[in-house]
Amino acid sequence: MAMKNAKNVHFLQIDHQVKNIFSLEGVVVMPSPIAYKKYPWTKRLFLNEPKEGYFIWVKKQVDFPLRTCISLASFKTSQNLSNLMIIEKNLKIKAEVLCNALKNNLYGIHQAKGKLILKEGASLEYNHFHFWGENDLVNPDYEFYLEKGAKLFYHYKNFQPPKNLNFKTSLELEKDSQVDLKVDILANKSLVNLEENLILKGENSKGIIRLRLVSKNKSEIKSLAKITALNKATGHLDCQGRLVDNYSKISLIPNLVCLNKNAQLTHEASIGKISEEELIYLRSRGLTEKEAIDLIINGFLEK
Amino acid sequence: MDNYVKNVDKTMLLQIKNLKVKANSKQILKGINFRIKNKEIVVLLGPNGSGKTVLAQTISGNPHYKIESGEIYFNNKKITKMPPEKRVKLGIVLAWQNPPAIKGISLENFLKKIKKAKELPSSLGNLNILSKELNTNISGGEKKLSELIQVLALNPKFVIFDEIDSGLDLRNLKKVAEIIKKEIIDRKMAVLIITHNGQILNYLKPTKTLVLVDGQIICEHQNYKIVLNTIKKYGYEKCKKCPFFANRPSS
Repeated sequence: MAMKNAKNVHFLQIDHQVKNIFSLEGVVVMPSPIAYKKYPWTKRLFLNEPKEGYFIWVKKQVDFPLRTCISLASFKTSQNLSNLMIIEKNLKIKAEVLCNALKNNLYGIHQAKGKLILKEGASLEYNHFHFWGENDLVNPDYEFYLEKGAKLFYHYKNFQPPKNLNFKTSLELEKDSQVDLKVDILANKSLVNLEENLILKGENSKGIIRLRLVSKNKSEIKSLAKITALNKATGHLDCQGRLVDNYSKISLIPNLVCLNKNAQLTHEASIGKISEEELIYLRSRGLTEKEAIDLIINGFLEK
Repeated sequence: MDNYVKNVDKTMLLQIKNLKVKANSKQILKGINFRIKNKEIVVLLGPNGSGKTVLAQTISGNPHYKIESGEIYFNNKKITKMPPEKRVKLGIVLAWQNPPAIKGISLENFLKKIKKAKELPSSLGNLNILSKELNTNISGGEKKLSELIQVLALNPKFVIFDEIDSGLDLRNLKKVAEIIKKEIIDRKMAVLIITHNGQILNYLKPTKTLVLVDGQIICEHQNYKIVLNTIKKYGYEKCKKCPFFANRPSS
């Protein structure tokens, strides 16, 4: 699955080749290696010299979503991406980010290091979609830095995971900033490792992590979710898992670390099977068992 | 073809023969026998825990209820072991007493998925619940209306209403009853109504009344008013002793 219209994609990379860059007024879009050379200040953000990936610097308000698409198209391609996105002060931006394999059996590797910086008062709705082949290996590792008063809504959705997915997200929040992280994963013959690390650094920062995990067809999902409060802040962790069969596994390990007496961290978690009653109800409306399971799973992940 | 059996009454839409059903290892139905003709309106009365919902769920094919012995025939076809989705295709639809919440899909989108009928009748009026999640965060009355809408969308031949009237105020009871009358009974579908208080019967006027007590049908009568009045006056214990008791079906 590629983005429907490549012309609407601001950065399009297939395998190692940048196919399309669509710059616009107030938004700098370029491959990361070029940005690394053009803007010396990015060196401290990239850490290492990037080989591939995108650099997006939003300096002015735009009223449509910024779109990126990075795809695997050739057999045994190994991508090693470094992405950097910077949203300047008080801008409200929406981004749609797609990473995928264009065919099922490519045995590809997609390694992505990402850094997103939301400057003071900036707001970002970041919708991140993954669709992979059943033999790909995918390791996204994203860091988000929210300056004072910044807001992030991050929705990661993966209903077609690879053979192995190692998904790391770390979020650091300064004063009065807020994050809402939602991760929806439907693991199908997959091994999925999740690691979320939310650091509530500033006073009155707020964060919520919501995990909706479904494991089926001998899949295994392991999730380590950590919230640390360094200041007067509030954090909530909400993990829910559903097992579709007896051959799959989900393990959730919540970790709340409170280092300030005025901080409040809460947690709720449940893992269970699909409700028999819901299944029978849907079948009594004419849906087959498989259709009923799919409908319940989709509803659970959309919640 | 094995499902078509010769020794059943072909004029009947539904036939239940000596049905014994267990739930969680407990015997609930202890040899049920009754028949429903095409276009017939039947009411099933019984105290709490007598097995009314188990019977309704068993007819609709809920595998949670284990059939120990006995047979169910629909349109001369044996459906005793048929899965629920296939029974719906034959035209058997149950309106649940307590439908579970299904999150993430609106009633409107769910109807698009299941709908067999061309369009919903205008008698349903303006339906605010269409945009709401299926059976989620809606009132008891709205749940009943949702069940009724789904029943109509499935274009059934035979409908079981499991306490469709429970928890409804008089205005909503009348509304639900009028829709059932107009869209189901007047369109010649057969109906089995399970009810406690019986108020809805004054609108639907059933032609046969069955009384279920302790997993057995102890009375079959043509006049629902007589049976209902007896129960209201003397309770179900009286039912066991009344002269109509002799009329209960033996096979």
